[in-house]
Amino acid sequence: MARSSTTSDVFNAVGEAHRREILDTLIAGEKAVGAIVNDVSMSQPQVSKHLRVLSEVGLVRCRAEGRRRLYRLEPARLRPMHVWLAKYEQAWNDRLDRMDDYLKELQRQGEPQ
Amino acid sequence: MTPRGHGSTVIELPNDRDVLIAREFKAPIALVFDVLTKPEHVSKWFAGPGEEMKECSIDLRVGGSYRFVFVTEDGIEMSFRGIYLEVAPPTRTVETWLFEGRPDGEAIESQDLHEARGVTTLTVKLAFSDAAGRPTRFEGMEASFDRIDDVVRSLLDPSGTVSGK
Repeated sequence: MARSSTTSDVFNAVGEAHRREILDTLIAGEKAVGAIVNDVSMSQPQVSKHLRVLSEVGLVRCRAEGRRRLYRLEPARLRPMHVWLAKYEQAWNDRLDRMDDYLKELQRQGEPQ
Repeated sequence: MTPRGHGSTVIELPNDRDVLIAREFKAPIALVFDVLTKPEHVSKWFAGPGEEMKECSIDLRVGGSYRFVFVTEDGIEMSFRGIYLEVAPPTRTVETWLFEGRPDGEAIESQDLHEARGVTTLTVKLAFSDAAGRPTRFEGMEASFDRIDDVVRSLLDPSGTVSGK
């Protein structure tokens, strides 16, 4: 099936419940892998695997502090989704506005002359 | 977020798979149902300004199919199709829904109408998942908006309060 790979597409990267769980916990701020593992219902290898995907699409950024690796959210990379949602809402609203206008027109035409 | 326009459309993303859209119309339920389900009406409002409706076929019976195609200002063809699963005028239809540009994102759409005091409320529910129950590209996108979107919006809004910076 033709679809873009998880590692190049923010939408696909976020379209997975465990990765969203990790993003949710990082909303509170920068965290070490161990702290993330404590927050979510996953093993450390699973968390590391998902963090790798999230890093590859740029949704999280990693820095080393001593032997610890700290991860933080890169919210700007969520902008494509933000734009998508805004467009989606706007498209529905515009379409239903047109339906509303058309209904009004029909009812005006249906009134006795 | 309140979209621009004169309408009162409410969009919710209640869980991983569903999108709920609600809108009120000052019109009797039978007329709203016709405007939603008859091709001579749908062709009048489905496409927007600058867009051209190319196909609008509706076979409104259980097992019957529909297909809407319009061309955008940029010449891009957008097509939607599905098959009716329930037809109960003037209150309800249930149909499969597929945006042909994303063939792995099939949904079940239900459209429910309710009239009170001359106002008819349309509720559209799109439940995304494919027949085999496999996760699709669309699945989860809704949930991620639901859970992260407020934060994203506040972080992207320069006038908003940004903590930790």
